[in-house]
Amino acid sequence: MTALAVRGLTHAYGGVPVLRAVDLSVSPGEVVAVVGPSGAGKTTLFRCLTQLVRADAGTLELFGTDLQQAQGKSLRLARRDLGLVFQSYNLVRRLTAMQNVLVGRLADVPAWRVLLRRFPAADEALAAACLDQVGLLPYAHTRADRLSGGQQQRVAIARVLASRARVVLADEPVASLDPASAASVLTALRSLATDHGKAVVCSLHQVDLVAGFADRVVGLRDGRVVLDVPVSQFDPAAASALYARAG
Amino acid sequence: MQARPGTGLAPAPVRPARPLPQRVLRWLLAAVAVAGFIGCLRLADVDPVELAEGLPTMAGWIGQAFPPSTEGLSTLLVRAAETVAIAVVGTAFAVVLALPLCVLAARTTTPSGWVRLPVRLFLNGLRGVDAFVFALLFVAAVGLGPFAGVLGIALHTWGSMGKLFSESIEALPGGPLEAAELTGASRLKTSSYTLLPDVLPSISSIGLYLLEFNIRASTVLGVVGAGGIGQELKNSVDLLAFPRLATILIVILVMVTAVDQLSARLRKALA
Repeated sequence: MTALAVRGLTHAYGGVPVLRAVDLSVSPGEVVAVVGPSGAGKTTLFRCLTQLVRADAGTLELFGTDLQQAQGKSLRLARRDLGLVFQSYNLVRRLTAMQNVLVGRLADVPAWRVLLRRFPAADEALAAACLDQVGLLPYAHTRADRLSGGQQQRVAIARVLASRARVVLADEPVASLDPASAASVLTALRSLATDHGKAVVCSLHQVDLVAGFADRVVGLRDGRVVLDVPVSQFDPAAASALYARAG
Repeated sequence: MQARPGTGLAPAPVRPARPLPQRVLRWLLAAVAVAGFIGCLRLADVDPVELAEGLPTMAGWIGQAFPPSTEGLSTLLVRAAETVAIAVVGTAFAVVLALPLCVLAARTTTPSGWVRLPVRLFLNGLRGVDAFVFALLFVAAVGLGPFAGVLGIALHTWGSMGKLFSESIEALPGGPLEAAELTGASRLKTSSYTLLPDVLPSISSIGLYLLEFNIRASTVLGVVGAGGIGQELKNSVDLLAFPRLATILIVILVMVTAVDQLSARLRKALA
């Protein structure tokens, strides 16, 4: 079964085409890495996938629901199956790691509990388990702004895990991290697919990180998919062809 | 191009002269501004001769004011406390009123202009009417006394506070809210949980600043019968009781300075 299926996704900003008929699919338990030079359309693709930007044309099916057609409440419900990991982590700085993971539970908790920050014991237990999963249980009560970049990104991954979203989209999650932190973040993302059966789509600009992380590599260039291969076939020659200057 | 002697550098470029019409326009604008200011002086009845003639009288008053009278000091202190109370209660009411509206007035939390713009208009309207004017109206509606002052302070501060709170919400990074909204939770839950913790230091600081401001504003509310030390101030001026007036001014000065210092320290601790 396909978790997320994108067909013919096309988008332009002010008449300038950014995405040209992009096809992309990902199955539960699979990690797809999206690579390509700057300006290839990776960020726009991710904004369209989450419907933060509505694409001009194409279909975007999430477990059979076309997000391009969904609106209002049905879109809100469908989007609950999407978890997003951002380049800038997007944690609430003055909340603890644990309280940030609990953001993933907001939809299912009554408003008065959210206002008082008193979550049901089951949700707290789930949040703690998610933090443990990314190796940060000892930091549960540390404020987010006291954590390193790599730790903050792992809290963000635990937040996605706590939301029980079945498809995880990670937009350049390691772009501002040092190599060791980047490795720990990618390990945590990999385990979302391997241990929890999530479908993961992750954009990267360091092609050397792809091996040992992704199952499949999709190369984007000038808004087109120019490469869609198993990771074993993504060799240095394929990478340099993708990044070679046009003309 | 010739190098400047001894430096080896190219000659500094000469700033081109402005074209003539532009220069004429500048002089015209300057002339209009000066004429406008002279008009304002006329309208405001500014007359240095009157000031010079009045100075000896004022100097006489200052002479009469010493030593300041200590008679009825305890009443004055009670009135001063009343002034502080008006400001504290009025500002607290304003916080309660401003918190829900600032969420509706901030672009991040309320993208729809149909709600945001009327809310902003309402807040600007409240801000545009001074607490003194509101107090004047409330004295007529609820009667003389400090409660009219509290209502006046609360209404005017509601406007300023709502605007300043919403601006500090807009200054926050939008990412955490965006991440929470993807979970499909309602706006009440996502904005209270993700924005409140990060915005709390700046809204506390704004609250203290407005409290300081309101204590200064409440000292004159008594002039319209809305309670506090202003009532005593007006009585002493009316009776030309200068020693008592001096005491009142000293009490106000000490009170305002003490509150400003305290609030400045608290705000520094929050930053």
